[in-house]
Amino acid sequence: MRKEIAATEVQELRLKFPGEAEFVFKDLDFSVQRGEHVLLLGPSGCGKSTLLQVLSGIIPDLVEIPMRTSAQQLPTSWRFLFQDPDTQFCMPYVDEELAFALENLGVSESEMSARMEAVLAKVGLELPELHVPIDSLSQGMKQRLALASVLLGDPEVLLLDEPSALLDPQGRKQIWQAIAKVAEDRTLIIVEHRIEELTALGLVDRVVLFGPDGRVLGEGAPDEVFDTYRSELAEFGIWYPGVWEEYFASEEGRRLLEPARNVRSTNGPGTVELRNFRGFRQGRPVIEAPQVTVRPGDWIAVTGPNGAGKSSLLLSLIGLLPTEGIYMLQGGRMETGKLSSRARRRQLERTSREIGFVFQNPEFQFVADRVADEVAFSLREDGLGTEVVHERVQVYLKQFGLTGLEGRHPYQLSLGQKRRLSVAAAAVREQRLLLLDEPTFGQDAANTFAILQLCEELRRRGTAILMVTHEERIAEQVATQHWEVRDGRIISLRKTPRAADPLAEPFAEREQRGRPEAEAVMTK
Amino acid sequence: MRKFLTPKRQTWLHRANPAAKLALMILLFLLTLFTHRLDFIFYQAILFTLLLFLFSGYETWKIALLILPFALIFASSAATMILFGKGEQVWWAWGLFRISEESFFRGIHIGLKAVAFAAEGLLFVLTTPSVALFYALMQQAKLPPKYAYSFMASVRLLPMVWEELLVRRNALLIRGVRRPQGLAGLVAQAKLYAVPLLSQSIRRAHRVAVAMEAKAFDGNRPRTYYYRTAYSRYDVLVLLLLVFVAAAAYTLALLYPPFHIADVRYH
Repeated sequence: MRKEIAATEVQELRLKFPGEAEFVFKDLDFSVQRGEHVLLLGPSGCGKSTLLQVLSGIIPDLVEIPMRTSAQQLPTSWRFLFQDPDTQFCMPYVDEELAFALENLGVSESEMSARMEAVLAKVGLELPELHVPIDSLSQGMKQRLALASVLLGDPEVLLLDEPSALLDPQGRKQIWQAIAKVAEDRTLIIVEHRIEELTALGLVDRVVLFGPDGRVLGEGAPDEVFDTYRSELAEFGIWYPGVWEEYFASEEGRRLLEPARNVRSTNGPGTVELRNFRGFRQGRPVIEAPQVTVRPGDWIAVTGPNGAGKSSLLLSLIGLLPTEGIYMLQGGRMETGKLSSRARRRQLERTSREIGFVFQNPEFQFVADRVADEVAFSLREDGLGTEVVHERVQVYLKQFGLTGLEGRHPYQLSLGQKRRLSVAAAAVREQRLLLLDEPTFGQDAANTFAILQLCEELRRRGTAILMVTHEERIAEQVATQHWEVRDGRIISLRKTPRAADPLAEPFAEREQRGRPEAEAVMTK
Repeated sequence: MRKFLTPKRQTWLHRANPAAKLALMILLFLLTLFTHRLDFIFYQAILFTLLLFLFSGYETWKIALLILPFALIFASSAATMILFGKGEQVWWAWGLFRISEESFFRGIHIGLKAVAFAAEGLLFVLTTPSVALFYALMQQAKLPPKYAYSFMASVRLLPMVWEELLVRRNALLIRGVRRPQGLAGLVAQAKLYAVPLLSQSIRRAHRVAVAMEAKAFDGNRPRTYYYRTAYSRYDVLVLLLLVFVAAAAYTLALLYPPFHIADVRYH
């Protein structure tokens, strides 16, 4: 057997979080050879990130968690790239942040600027100058900056803890390209759920698949593992290559592609109608909708770059931003223009009765201490009887896969459960319109599909769904319409193949009817 | 906000070493604190506010806007002493309120003192970026880097907390959370905001800390500094400027005293 040098190694690792009954790892042997590129896969909470921290020595040196090994070899030099682009920086400007890494190494200040420019070029981050506020960068750029600052330490081992999980598709592509470019001669240990981009680059030599109990299920070359453990990968919610196709071929997935003709009625008022509608932030228009209609049973995907005005559109519809133009909700005219604060409040009471709203971060919308109370909250506010509330809550908990968790605090749920709870609590009033701000963001594949299925069930009952998303598959295939937002304006409205039913022709017909009307408004 | 707080031009005060400036400012605070001559404090308040206009490097309208709250500071700190302070020459009394000549002038004195403090503090803050201050404190005052960088990291986190506060407010409005009346309602409301904001902030702070330490921020090596700070002639100039202003205030107080009160304390 060829003898290879281990870059990092643990033997008989035992680790348990204080206060938990189960071991995270029980007698795990794990080693990575020098120059090897290893990908760790497994269900959420199986301990992959913990293992990464053990291998680097973060546990127990920086984060004190009791653990034991019979033998451990730490890397000679290592750096860590974390998941959240916002929490890896301590300084306000790009150059200062990179300087922090250089100062730690004792690099003299005359060399610093040259090194910064070199490393930024290496990760493909082009900036007009070095002294740029980090807050002005997109999430994808921030993550490449984090990579740059990590590379300044010239690590032999690079540990990556889901570095692309919180990025949009473009950011994901760019960060993996940057990593691939600097991967040569380095050992990579990667934890990631979203592996389409990463495997497309052929970055990985070996895949190690963990089971929910922290044991290694199997390992080998990527293709081998993907073939052998397909059902496990699906079950663990991993975004492996071809996961969408496989899902769409399944029974549940097929429902999401069926033509959506059953509930649309072209007669009668739309759920939402907007004419020359604008939303404002600090007096500046941030979103403009010249002419759009949302009908019952529509599933509208709103896409666009960050800061284009997608979230502003949702906030304008719910009435949290000042607006002008024509806004019809369920056939009733909403007040727009300058409103007194009383009128604003009245308006908001009305919109929140008729519209459900799901925030990007579920934790911010939770208002109760128990899962069941969270779902019941709006119903109780509406003054429904205890019996009715209880029944409806049970139905929703069951539908959203939260039965048995009634007594938990919402914060103690898993990421996917929190997301489902936030949708359940927003939809429980059975409003005719549901607004969702990137509900699948940062979710694993299984949770994403679960959310899509739940939305589809609501849609089939006649709820109109307006969903901000970065996911191309959702926008192009699952939704019935695709709106693109650029620079504060809805620039294109397209039907997807799902809505290609001639009877359900929302645009062509409306545009003929709508135009003179819109002009009449404009001349006023 | 960042744009609003960017000075239009750099003055001596910007170029002085922040650590030296901090020391000078502390001396100035002490001077103001131990001034009991009403006429002197009157001129201190006026001259340091004037210094803000002349030497902070900001547009006049911005300074005017920033010193608007001075009126509130003056009124709130003066009012209590005027209304409740001790004194023999009673001008007016009604129930608990009792305005005497002594209490009135002491109230004016405290109000002006507060304004002088505010002007001095603002002068420092407007001419000193926080990053520059901490670099100077590390190099000139030997502040351990772990404290300096913790402060700078937390400054970076503040706007995020503010943004989350706005998101949370929106969420509560949309969910239709009505605040119950009374003290219990206030507590419930505080909890509704504190739980999500604190849990986010704690997690975030922990992550930032681990990320910083993972970049070899362990203090085992001699540090270099991206921004070199040193003492310079500007420190002397600022010292002279501040001494001159303080001396001018004292001279004016002796030459043109508006109140003729050498000591406002009540014996």
